[in-house]
Amino acid sequence: MWLILVKLAWRNIFRNKRRTFIAATAIGIGLTALIFIDAFMIGMEDTMIRTATASFLGDAQIHREGFRDEQEASMTIQALDDVTASLAEEASVQHFTHRVLVSGMITSPANVSAINLVGVHPPTEKFLSLIDDAVTEGAYFEGENSRDIVIGAKLAEILEIELGDRVVVTVAQAGTGELSQEMFRISGIYHFADEAMNSGMAFVRIQKAQEMLAIGNNVHEIAIKFTSIAYSQDTTLPFWDTYSQLGNEVLSWTELMSQLTVVLEMTKYTKYIMGVILFGVVIFGIINTLFMSLYERMFEFGVLRAVGTRPFGMARVILFEAGALAIVSIGLGAILGFVLTAVLAHVGIDYTGIEMMGVTMQEFIYPVLEIQQFIIYPIWVFIFTIIAGLYPARYVAKVVPVDAMRRSF
Amino acid sequence: MEQTQQTDVIVTEGVTKVYTADGIPVNALNGIDLTIQSGEFTALVGPSGSGKTTFLNIISGLDSPTEGKVWLAGKVLSEMSGNELSDFRRDNIGFIFQAYNLIPVLTVEENIEYIMLLAGVPKAERHERVLAMLEVVGLKGVADRTPTQLSGGQQQRVAIARAMVSEPAIILADEPTANLDSKTGADLLEMMRHLNAETGMTFIFSTHDPMVMENAQRLITLRDGRIDSDEAK
Repeated sequence: MWLILVKLAWRNIFRNKRRTFIAATAIGIGLTALIFIDAFMIGMEDTMIRTATASFLGDAQIHREGFRDEQEASMTIQALDDVTASLAEEASVQHFTHRVLVSGMITSPANVSAINLVGVHPPTEKFLSLIDDAVTEGAYFEGENSRDIVIGAKLAEILEIELGDRVVVTVAQAGTGELSQEMFRISGIYHFADEAMNSGMAFVRIQKAQEMLAIGNNVHEIAIKFTSIAYSQDTTLPFWDTYSQLGNEVLSWTELMSQLTVVLEMTKYTKYIMGVILFGVVIFGIINTLFMSLYERMFEFGVLRAVGTRPFGMARVILFEAGALAIVSIGLGAILGFVLTAVLAHVGIDYTGIEMMGVTMQEFIYPVLEIQQFIIYPIWVFIFTIIAGLYPARYVAKVVPVDAMRRSF
Repeated sequence: MEQTQQTDVIVTEGVTKVYTADGIPVNALNGIDLTIQSGEFTALVGPSGSGKTTFLNIISGLDSPTEGKVWLAGKVLSEMSGNELSDFRRDNIGFIFQAYNLIPVLTVEENIEYIMLLAGVPKAERHERVLAMLEVVGLKGVADRTPTQLSGGQQQRVAIARAMVSEPAIILADEPTANLDSKTGADLLEMMRHLNAETGMTFIFSTHDPMVMENAQRLITLRDGRIDSDEAK
């Protein structure tokens, strides 16, 4: 019995090929959109994480406990030599770099601006940040000049200075709070997509920063890059306990940028909401198609009822038709979704310079195709199509044969 | 009425049907009392609007009377549930429609075997009975064709085969010859007459066709929803 109903359904959906093609295309586009949105979201997440971690943050950071809240220059990392030696032996750590961080003032002949002064060790810093790549004028700490300073293009504009101009940086020394001033020469100007980095940061050699703050060889931050970014979310890794000792704390990027973690979590809900909206549209399309087909063949349904098909049998015919329509639509949608996403995964989508959820994109977004997109979403489409078929199926089940066959008996 | 007699295949008692058209009640049937015995070859005649179609709808369980009762093969139709009525029609009534009403996406064989599928007849037996039935209606070799590949006369023969293949007690035919030329109509009528004689199935026609009226054993004339005359020939 099932077989004849399946045959009936399958052949019926091809009775009006044009209508079936249009309906299947509409449903298929819904599936395509879902596949693409999912792939895009994964690509966007990857890009956002990469942008957030690779620009400057790193996958994890070590600080003296409380430093992030206090921003006190004297709160340097405890037992730095031991920590550094240990990090050098860590199999999960690919690169790390020392940094000195302090708030200060930068003054040019024309203007003055508040900045976050960062003392960096250029040979290792290049593995942890993209400052060197972002330099558009001058150079990123070439040679040995300790008075080199690299600033953002926006800050240069505020200070009305150019490459080679002199500026004075003022900071408060650790412990005493005495003001310390040094003159620097602009050796490089970088341009980041992130406006905050462009206008509010300045980089000097770490030794000069340590000297200004009178903190000896101590540092405030160690930025770490793991061999795999997955380690940054692996809370079972002994790494986190090992380096959260001696008054220090180690935090992964997910904790350092907790707002980004929350935002990324929210993107999942965004995906579900978009899915529900898409399916909402698709469902009404399916119901409309099934009803058009149903009204066209109402007389046949009357005949099927008259010759003894039970109401549930009638409903099954419509549900099988909905299923057959879903199968055709899934085929179309999966092919279309694969082609569209694969092409864009290859060429990328240019989001550079666009700020999304607090992160300014530095690179193209490349949608990521995953096998589960071609399993889970088609199953969803199939289930939703069947659910959409329930209403017309119920309608057909309740058809009164004599009303359906009004033209004859 | 307590019990129908064994040979009374259809019994109606005071069957009345009132439709409402634009808020105005229209009496389609006015208290029809009728008994049809098994094996009869009966024609229901009368002008358009006389109630033939409504009467066929009601005695087949496709519609329910406003008042009165219908016994079909000993069962009261109004006392059956939706599923019981479906099963009852499947097992006891064969329909032949004016416009053939074959399912266009099914082959001739699938159209004919559909009712047997509903009844759970095994595949081999279905196939055998379909082929035998096609031979009876003179359509050997067309089992794999679709209805659109057949002429009107051939389609009506398939419809007859579909109606008879499950060997129901009653065949209800609504203007079965109306869409056919006179030669094809005469051939089909002859065939149905022959099957009636051979199988003992009860045939009830609604018709305007004088040829059907001539061949009928019993002629019931309806007028304004009432039996105007009922003559055995």
